Amino acid sequence: MTRHRKIDHPDDDNRLDSMAQGVLGKPVDRLEGPLKVSGLATYAAEARPSGMVHGVLVRATITKGRVTAIDRQAALALPGVLAVITDPRMVRYSAQGMADKGPKAGPQTVDYHGQPIALVVAEGFEQARHAANALHIAYEEEPAPVDPDAVTPEMPQAKQKAQGDLDAAMRDAAFGIDSTYTTPTLMAAAMEPHAAIAEWDGDNVTVRAALQMLASDRKQLADALGIELERVRLLAPYVGGGFGSKLGIAPEAVAAAIAAKELGVPVSVALTRMQEFDITHRRSESRQRVLLAAGADGVLTGIGHEVLVSNLPDSPFSEPVTQATPFTYQAAHRRIVHRIARVHRSCAGSVRAPGEAIGVTVFEAAMDELAEAVGIDPVELRLRNIPDREPGTGRPYSVNRLGDCLREGAHRFGWSQRRAPRERREGEWFIGMGVAAAVRVNMLIESRARVTLTEDGAKVETDMTDIGTGTYTILRQIAAEMLGLPVDAVEVHLGDTDFPPAAGSGGSFGAASSGTSVYLACEDLRTRIAERMGCAEAELRLQDGRASFRNDTRELRDLLAGEVLVAEGHVEPGDAEKQARQATWGAHFAEVAVSRYTGEVRVRRMLGVFACGRILNEKTARSQCLGGMTFGIGMALTEAVEHDPRSGHIVNRDLAAYHLPSHADVPAQDVIFLPDRDGFAGPMQAKGIGELGICGAGGAVLNAIYNARGVRVRDLPATPDKVMP
Amino acid sequence: MQIAFHLNGTPVRLDAPPTRTLLDWLREDRGLCGTKEGCNEGDCGACTVMVTDEGGARALNACILFLPQLDGKSVRTVEGISSPEGALHPVQEAMIAHHGSQCGFCTPGFVVSMAVGHACGRTDHDDVLAGNLCRCTGYAPIIRAAEAAEAAPVPAWMQDTVPERTADPFRPSSVAELARVYAAHPDATLVAGATDVGLWVTKELRSIRPIFLNGLRDMQQIEMGETIRIGAGVTISALRDAMRDVHPSFAELLRRYASVQIRNAATIGGNIANGSPIGDGPPALIALGAALHLRRGDAVRQIPLEDFFLEYRRQDRLAGEFVEAVTIPAAAPTLRCYKISKRFDQDISAACGCFNLTIEGSIITDARIAFGGMAGIPKRATAVETALIGQPWSLATVTSALPAFATDYQPMTDMRASAEYRLEAARNLLVRYFHDLSGEPVSVLEVAP
Repeated sequence: MTRHRKIDHPDDDNRLDSMAQGVLGKPVDRLEGPLKVSGLATYAAEARPSGMVHGVLVRATITKGRVTAIDRQAALALPGVLAVITDPRMVRYSAQGMADKGPKAGPQTVDYHGQPIALVVAEGFEQARHAANALHIAYEEEPAPVDPDAVTPEMPQAKQKAQGDLDAAMRDAAFGIDSTYTTPTLMAAAMEPHAAIAEWDGDNVTVRAALQMLASDRKQLADALGIELERVRLLAPYVGGGFGSKLGIAPEAVAAAIAAKELGVPVSVALTRMQEFDITHRRSESRQRVLLAAGADGVLTGIGHEVLVSNLPDSPFSEPVTQATPFTYQAAHRRIVHRIARVHRSCAGSVRAPGEAIGVTVFEAAMDELAEAVGIDPVELRLRNIPDREPGTGRPYSVNRLGDCLREGAHRFGWSQRRAPRERREGEWFIGMGVAAAVRVNMLIESRARVTLTEDGAKVETDMTDIGTGTYTILRQIAAEMLGLPVDAVEVHLGDTDFPPAAGSGGSFGAASSGTSVYLACEDLRTRIAERMGCAEAELRLQDGRASFRNDTRELRDLLAGEVLVAEGHVEPGDAEKQARQATWGAHFAEVAVSRYTGEVRVRRMLGVFACGRILNEKTARSQCLGGMTFGIGMALTEAVEHDPRSGHIVNRDLAAYHLPSHADVPAQDVIFLPDRDGFAGPMQAKGIGELGICGAGGAVLNAIYNARGVRVRDLPATPDKVMP
Repeated sequence: MQIAFHLNGTPVRLDAPPTRTLLDWLREDRGLCGTKEGCNEGDCGACTVMVTDEGGARALNACILFLPQLDGKSVRTVEGISSPEGALHPVQEAMIAHHGSQCGFCTPGFVVSMAVGHACGRTDHDDVLAGNLCRCTGYAPIIRAAEAAEAAPVPAWMQDTVPERTADPFRPSSVAELARVYAAHPDATLVAGATDVGLWVTKELRSIRPIFLNGLRDMQQIEMGETIRIGAGVTISALRDAMRDVHPSFAELLRRYASVQIRNAATIGGNIANGSPIGDGPPALIALGAALHLRRGDAVRQIPLEDFFLEYRRQDRLAGEFVEAVTIPAAAPTLRCYKISKRFDQDISAACGCFNLTIEGSIITDARIAFGGMAGIPKRATAVETALIGQPWSLATVTSALPAFATDYQPMTDMRASAEYRLEAARNLLVRYFHDLSGEPVSVLEVAP
């Protein structure tokens, strides 16, 4: 039986609030925690099918052109080497998330320095690596631009927006800000490097890989290989982080499948960390001009956000930097400009909160400039500019909690202690505070799950992934809550395309989308149990394995009498997402210390206050936000990819030179969730949470640096040389 | 090479190529995949293992640890942190309860680092875990887990014994043996911690003929006295411990030297002989007036450390000659060491400045100032020193000495900092030094909220 629901109307029934088990929202421990702390959770590179051999991707040493010849003799003569594969179906980079087709094929045409062009297969990994170095490759090279500022960018009509007359608003404004910021190329840098192991059984292939969205990855792989969807099975039970880097099918999975077919044995292709930097999608660098026009009271009359990002020619993705700009603050005169420079750096794609991560961060830094210019408190400036309805469209907000988050955060953080720039000093360290809004669009994506109820408990099955987000645990809690079972009586099986297709992990929509499909399947099961109890589903109480209706309480076991009930839940987005502007909201506060002698910045404390619908698990939700805020510290202070100006190649392609924050860089962080329900998000009133923490966090740090030292850093990250005047 | 060690309590004997890494052997030969490969160059800590010898238990990165380095030691991987029956260690329990594991890929490395810290009674968790990167949690849940496990007793199954060592001429057991084998094989590569040489193999795919220095107990000693003699084989961790009371500022600099796992492997001899212009050990040692003791066969010589560094990556070292020890004075109350880097831990210095003035009455009678990151070698600021000596110790003297930095240093612009910044920061560090000696807080740790 399938319980299908299209979310065409807001659902404010809040049914989950009246369930009896009382486990949803609680800080339940991670289901697979014991496996992970013991090293027993197996990731993509860790299957060992019999006869498995190893492939290593060979990468281009030119930026653009064509491979004219590969001399394989020296490589093939080396011990253990089995094949050099240059199949034209091999792909040049990863697919963009949720694409229906495979990414661009044809590895002999080179689009960027470091692109895969061949696969060397050997019995051992190091043998393959050695042989990959022994190949002699001839190229026909073409000149190619790699600097986004050195080309004439595209300006797609659909991405430009304007209302009123911003230039006039700027001319007439009591206060105007016209500032240009730059952000560097950033990397997801998940701890698990990409890997895939492919194994064929006749014409059917099973690929175990590091992937976030199996349902669409499966389509992409089938398309890339030129086989039917049904012949592809993907497995990703444990994924060592994604942050966007594992959204689409990637070169190693396609190459492993092709090699395994050709050689008739299972093939593993695992990327080294350097290859990870070379091949996986990067977050585009950006140049962002922010224009703000305001009256003497700080009320905005004009907003402009003009951006330049880059990608390879023909790539459909461009970082949606201005995504939240149209609906965060009010102003009558508005302009969005989106330019795309076509350059031959590696492919740009989605990295945690594509758009808002860098867009909100920069916009909120500009808002701080305006507060300074007008001479009003930065929190107050934001409160004065929160719209009643979405500017431009006039739609209502599903909910808008930005003001609540700012006020609550200011109170909890001790914002009233903030002084004017350079006024607070301890020893050689200037101390400052900064604030920024957090905003991220909210989405629901079609998703299915199957729930099986037996005498012993329930089993949830979906091809949804858990990339560290807590999916195993929250789906278990949803089923336990709906079916009145202790959490231990619910098994969850994920990461297998033999299960019903889910939204996948991406865009912060995974929990709400896959969770709603589990909710719907359970609703169907509840209906069938209610029939046996002779009551309506809404009157049924399920708790601790017992069903109750009025004075009648029966064991679920007795009601089932050996029968196995199976239901599938299927949720689709509907008209509700058009009726209102849905977003998640928050406010970041940061306190930093800045050395007067060296410009070093140390974050001393951070607070994030967030409103993102119903919280499904207080523990996993909090940790999502902490992780996002830590990404924000990296964006503000330490993380930047350096491209070789001649070739576009990433120079600092390791974790020694691409600086993720380490322990001492991350101060005491606190996260507060405001109680929130959003019926437009569906029957669970739950919204996205995985990305909100990064949106704006770096802006709070930058604004705190200004408050401490009086230095406005507009070229991220704020390294000591930029902070020291 | 013949190697004997214990793995998770079980004796192992094997004959392995000398540059086979522990990580590859664990994952590929033994099928123990709990130990993860996140970077394969000692940056991320996902491959952390616990290694025990006479000196106790320590955390090391398996990805740049060659198997022969383990001879006579005991190794515990994440699979051996749980009991043989599968009972969880207190740090594992705490990691689950406090949500310290999310995607789980970095978790085994964290668990091992935490178990080592737990076994050693450490409570400075930020420091113990600085060599483990996590991209999910933001670290706070992990720190809470480490704190929660502090009081639990060390489980009985964590007790390790070590086997007898295996004799091998390329793993000498005394300095005299090393002198003989290196004189006979001057093209061999000396491998102590392998924190740099490891990358030559794993990243650059270079073939080397290693002589392993791990067995040289007589080169791993620190002799305290008016002059302190530090054997070349002393690890950075051991040196940090020894410096804590005599040269606390040097010890504090060493706290920020790479990460725990690297400091547990890397040696001061390797740090010097490697000749990196940005190594953090040499500037402090030069400021201290260190003497370098070199040996070739039976011939020994002694030179001021600063004379060892000739130009970028070229040192005054003959074929077959090796660093045996470095000596420093025990008294240097005004020594101050300042490291500037983007990241607090695990980061290469943009500049590292070390200052050691002798002030008698109020007059500067001697000055030793050395910087890393300002030239192709670790280099003394002789012009600045000259401008200071004989002058009263005052802000006016400091100010008048600042232009001399441009005489001493013409730094370069690179990913870590611009040339202009480096010069400006170097000048400012002298100003900081003045305020530091006057008692003003200069460390961010002193002004924590």
